[in-house]
Amino acid sequence: MKAYFTRHAQVFMRTLGDFARSPTPTVMTVMLIGLTLALPTGLYVGLLNLQRLSQGWRPHGSLSVYLKKGGADREAVATIRRVPGVATVRYVSPTRGLREFKTASGLRGMGLFGRHNPLPGVVIVAPARPGPHSVALLATRLRGLPDVTHVQSNLVWVERLDAALAVGRRLVTLLAATLGLALVLILANTTRATVASRGTEISVIRLVGGTNAFIRRPFLYIGALTGGLGALCALLVLEVGLIALAGPVAALNRAYGAHYRLAGLSLRQALALLVLGASLGWLGARIAVARALRQGEI
Amino acid sequence: MIELKHVFKRYPLGTEALSDVGFTLAKGEMAFLTGPSGAGKSTVLKLICLLERPTRGQITVNGHELVRLPTRRLPYFRRQIGVVFQDNRLLNERTVFDNVALPLVVAGMTGDEVRKRVLAALDKVGLRGRERGSPLALSGGEQQRVGIARALVHRPPLLIADEPTGNLDAALSDDIIDLFREFNDHGVTVLIATHDLRQIDRLKKRVIRLGAGHMLGAA
Repeated sequence: MKAYFTRHAQVFMRTLGDFARSPTPTVMTVMLIGLTLALPTGLYVGLLNLQRLSQGWRPHGSLSVYLKKGGADREAVATIRRVPGVATVRYVSPTRGLREFKTASGLRGMGLFGRHNPLPGVVIVAPARPGPHSVALLATRLRGLPDVTHVQSNLVWVERLDAALAVGRRLVTLLAATLGLALVLILANTTRATVASRGTEISVIRLVGGTNAFIRRPFLYIGALTGGLGALCALLVLEVGLIALAGPVAALNRAYGAHYRLAGLSLRQALALLVLGASLGWLGARIAVARALRQGEI
Repeated sequence: MIELKHVFKRYPLGTEALSDVGFTLAKGEMAFLTGPSGAGKSTVLKLICLLERPTRGQITVNGHELVRLPTRRLPYFRRQIGVVFQDNRLLNERTVFDNVALPLVVAGMTGDEVRKRVLAALDKVGLRGRERGSPLALSGGEQQRVGIARALVHRPPLLIADEPTGNLDAALSDDIIDLFREFNDHGVTVLIATHDLRQIDRLKKRVIRLGAGHMLGAA
């Protein structure tokens, strides 16, 4: 077992030596892989931030129930309170509603609407059970009440945002899969060129009794190292991107009075990216070497 | 040690390299395989090392029937043979030590045993002290000696050489062939493909003659 690890360590050190001997093509390949991985990773981080940001805006599935104008609001509120699935109710009278509207829209003190108030009474209903299905069922029940003109679910925009985020996630997955495949092909091609340049070495190793596994080993290390370094390069690109965006996000925060901070990848996600890069590099090298070895077999 | 029976070899484009070739070489024997260029000497050696497979016929080397040997067993079979080429096939980006150590490393040997064996092999070929240098810093004869050290470092029972003196002058050729004879004296079976008649006359060893892919005699 010790001899096995010693052999691997020797091959690994030789691979590092090969890297050092020809740094220019290696660095270019690493940068190419880094940029290839940075695109889907950057989009993924963007989606993560959007998702995090939207968490703070999410209502808890309350319903706005609009009453008939000029109706008996007090009785209507009592009826709504008795509907199964209703946890609490809060009545907003037309007068209060107009006041809140004027405050929120900055039209207070402008004498708009005069004595005429166009707003109906509104009951804000908190459902006993959260969740889109329960809220939708409750909304249907409330719509059936005689004094109710309109029921609006505050979850609608959240559902739309979730759907948009799901589309975004799927797009990132597809992009990552496509670029991952491209990365495997890039590394397979790079390894193929390296294998071709070492034809004499491979034939000598075969001649002295080297197995395919022995011949393959240094190329797999090269692939995994190149892929891993490419992933590290992608993390650096991402970090630089986040630093570049920090200023504009701070300005946006000041404008909205918010305190949002852009988040990057967690340590676990960063490690996963490194492992993914190394694995894709290993796979590309494995494909290229397997092909070359098959051609040399008798 | 080596037995070829009715061996034929035809290459994909139709060239018939060998036609009904057969000879035996006993364990501990030394022989020259000779004939003009294109006689099929190199093809015979390639078939013995299983770098090629015969189109027809039977080849037995060190107890292995090569026609039946599966591809996955090839590396382990090749570890029983030492091969020396005219162009020595050294890896110039590796040191002399690393070149000679290669058969031991591929066999899974590490550490002190490798060092001990490599230095002993270099000592035998008169290159002790040159192990840290590049093969490119050596003369043609010295490079051939490194090739011989590499072929023998793992102590194979069979050594085959394809025109090992082809690029060397007469004095260096004598040195190299004497080295082979020395190894043969220690029990290694040696088969050398050459058209150097001077060496054949000098050593008075057995000669297997080929001509245009046919056996011309095995004296």
